[in-house]
Amino acid sequence: MAEVPTAYYIALSGILFALGMIGVLTRRTAVMVFLSVELMLNAANLSLVAFARAWGDLVGQTAVFIVMTLAAAEVAIGLAIIVAIFRKRETTNVDDLASLKG
Amino acid sequence: MLTFLVLAVLTIAGGILTISARNAVHASLGLVGTLLMVAGIYATLNASFLAATQVIVYAGAVMVLFLFVIMLLDANRPVEEANPLPFIAPLAGVGGAILAGAFAILAFTYKDPRPLAESTAALANGAPGPVGETLLTRFLLPFEAVSILLLVAVVGSVALVQRPAVQADPEQTPELTALEGEVA
Repeated sequence: MAEVPTAYYIALSGILFALGMIGVLTRRTAVMVFLSVELMLNAANLSLVAFARAWGDLVGQTAVFIVMTLAAAEVAIGLAIIVAIFRKRETTNVDDLASLKG
Repeated sequence: MLTFLVLAVLTIAGGILTISARNAVHASLGLVGTLLMVAGIYATLNASFLAATQVIVYAGAVMVLFLFVIMLLDANRPVEEANPLPFIAPLAGVGGAILAGAFAILAFTYKDPRPLAESTAALANGAPGPVGETLLTRFLLPFEAVSILLLVAVVGSVALVQRPAVQADPEQTPELTALEGEVA
């Protein structure tokens, strides 16, 4: 079985990252912004795994494992913050939350 | 190659659904699809342990948390997303196109440092054993840091979502002290 060249994986990772960036810029709901950030994190993970295969080194895959843990922690804290803000302000629209004043 | 192309098309379709769906539940289901397809791509990249972790941690735990919060906040109904800046959508499109172009240049000028068949053999199929060995030798410090981070995340999220402490009722206090005196 012929191996798929690493360039294809980098191209797919770039498309996913661009999609995530467009989502972060255009969506106005905090939860949707978070979903788009997850898309970008996955794009970065994908290229890390592709480079791990290109170099024949497991370090890339281990780094992805660490990134996954960070993403899980980020989601837990971020969603807790969204819930806390929603209780106080009754909205998760990021434009209404542009001020840090309580 | 065919496997990769099918997975890639499904991944991009899921990503487009994620950023374009009006309903937050549809968007997160699109992201679940994307994450599952990315797990399949990891499997084609000889990262079997990561493929399993992706399904369990991302497509499982993280997305359940997302759906839970979406439904808790009743954010699943389609919302009016009035944009304060009218030019942000085309601007985001242009930015995304530039970014994709930059990645395309990177992708098509990238040369593999050594033959793929040779480096693939060195990966040991990304089995849990070798990955864990790397994690606990070369990545020991990040591993410990991440464990502390997870602890902080757990404590922090509990602290963030707890209800404000009930104010002590002044009328209750004498009775309580009287009760405590009886017990003593």
